[in-house]
Amino acid sequence: MPICILEDIKKTYRMGDIDVMVLRGVNLLVERGEFIAIMGASGSGKTTLVNIIGCLDVPTSGRYILADREVSRLSDDELSVIRNEHIGFVFQNFYLLPYATVLENVLLPSLYVEKSKDDFVKRAHDLLAIVGLRERTKFKPSQLSGGEQQRVAIARALINDPDIILTDEPTGQLDSKTAGEIMDLLVQMHDRGKTIILITHDPNVAKYANRIVTMKDGVIV
Amino acid sequence: MSDAGRFLRILSQSAKAVRSYTLRTVFCLVSVAFGIASITLIVAATEGAYQKAFEIVARFGPDSLLVFGGGEEARATGRRQKTITLDDIDAVRDAFSTAYLVVPMTAMRDVPVSYRNRKYQSLVIGSTSDYSRVWTWPVVQGSDFTDDDVRGLRNVGLIGQFLASELFGDEDPVGKTILIKRIPVKIVGVLSERGTTPTGERLDDRVIIPISTIMRKLQNETTYVSAMRIRFLDRENLYAHVEELRTFLRARHKLPTEEPDDFTTVSPREITKFLVALTGSLVAFLGITGVIALVVAGFVIANLFLLSVRERTQEIGIRRAAGAKRRDIMFQFLGESVLITTLGGLAGFALAFASSKLLTSVAEFPIHFSSKAFVVGMVLSWAVGIGFGLQPANRAANLKPIEAIKG
Repeated sequence: MPICILEDIKKTYRMGDIDVMVLRGVNLLVERGEFIAIMGASGSGKTTLVNIIGCLDVPTSGRYILADREVSRLSDDELSVIRNEHIGFVFQNFYLLPYATVLENVLLPSLYVEKSKDDFVKRAHDLLAIVGLRERTKFKPSQLSGGEQQRVAIARALINDPDIILTDEPTGQLDSKTAGEIMDLLVQMHDRGKTIILITHDPNVAKYANRIVTMKDGVIV
Repeated sequence: MSDAGRFLRILSQSAKAVRSYTLRTVFCLVSVAFGIASITLIVAATEGAYQKAFEIVARFGPDSLLVFGGGEEARATGRRQKTITLDDIDAVRDAFSTAYLVVPMTAMRDVPVSYRNRKYQSLVIGSTSDYSRVWTWPVVQGSDFTDDDVRGLRNVGLIGQFLASELFGDEDPVGKTILIKRIPVKIVGVLSERGTTPTGERLDDRVIIPISTIMRKLQNETTYVSAMRIRFLDRENLYAHVEELRTFLRARHKLPTEEPDDFTTVSPREITKFLVALTGSLVAFLGITGVIALVVAGFVIANLFLLSVRERTQEIGIRRAAGAKRRDIMFQFLGESVLITTLGGLAGFALAFASSKLLTSVAEFPIHFSSKAFVVGMVLSWAVGIGFGLQPANRAANLKPIEAIKG
């Protein structure tokens, strides 16, 4: 059963007086447990596609079915719930809260959970052990290296046990050795059964995925 | 996890931000504190004035009236006309059946009073044996003078505690004879201690002698007295009696309709009014500063929070991506501003309390802190926090996730 079904997704932005069509009918099927890389040059529409897959934005037309639910016409609040339950984000710039500790950063998505009886604190500790930061739970992000910060972000993406890890250039800010470690960590998560959708323009990063699709001019080629 | 749980989790995020963005917190907190301090002080001062007024009214009798000779105008210009006669007093006693005490009084200020070689200028009041009862002012040593003393124009008197200690020091005044001008007066009793009026007049600096004695022997007067004091059994009708008394006295004094009253009635209402007016100047000054300070504080908050929202766009973005709804973001930022103004309100209350100690030490000013002053302070703090935090919080909540993520 596929986790993501995108059918003829179109997205038009209004720039002043003219409409710019950024996505021109994207069709994509992502299976549960897949590790897929979406490649493309800047301007190809891949960021817009990520925003739609991540439920940060809605398509102008087309259907998007995420975990058996049509999500392309949901309200802002409903999309928030979907993101919270189904998607873990890992961004290029880590986006950790500077004033919160490592542990508090990992717990962030759990604050917005609707209904759960999980012991998130225990889970956060387990995840930090998996990403190799067991000893750093009380550190502030500024006390960590870039690679360590991205590990915190990965632990944060996993705290609500989402179906998908959606990651946009996760190694963009890192040197190649650290980049390799982060990619190995993502592979490890994939081995544990997570679906991973990776967006990158870097073929060296894309090669970690099982399947690569390429975008060009708003469509998948 | 319930909605309340979610709300508390978000509030704890607000608390973390309040702790972390120290500079913003300090600026907002201090500006709120000043506003709240002056407003709390106003409430406390107003309450103090009323409380003091009620205290005085209760002490001097909430069922009583004081009628002075001379109209409002004459009194205001410092002239004391004598328009009330002993016959007026007898007539009032006969006409008002519920007036259980009607007592005449005549006062002389700055009268030389001496005991052996000690001299003092004091207030001498002539009245009847009902003086201590009509003012609820008990005789604590010796005894009151009697009706016979009044009828017999006897040279006897009661003395206030301040004057007693000035003239007698540690000696017991009872039974001793003092000179009022050149007239020897035997002290028969000492009045209890009364302290000072809110305007600083010493109440215990006085001698009370029979009204007949003062009129004949010190004033050479047969008809007029300074004032009368009346106590009514039916205190609920007190203000009706004020009007009846006015009509009654105007008729007795044969005043034509266009003529103003030639007497002034002081009721508990006037005492309260006077005391509250005394506090009024401070209230006006602090009121204006307080309101200005609060509005300034509000704008400081609004501006610093707008800056903060801009600076923390990415935080808002990641929170939205992680599943925060618009209202979660809204609550978080409103929580931050309300937490800060709450702390500011508490600091302001402490500041007001400290400065009231200062105020009461330099001038005897009635200030009374109650839960009311506290509640007013807190409610205003919250109003400022919500009122001026709303717009920044709204802006934060309405950031689109994709825009916020971009930073």
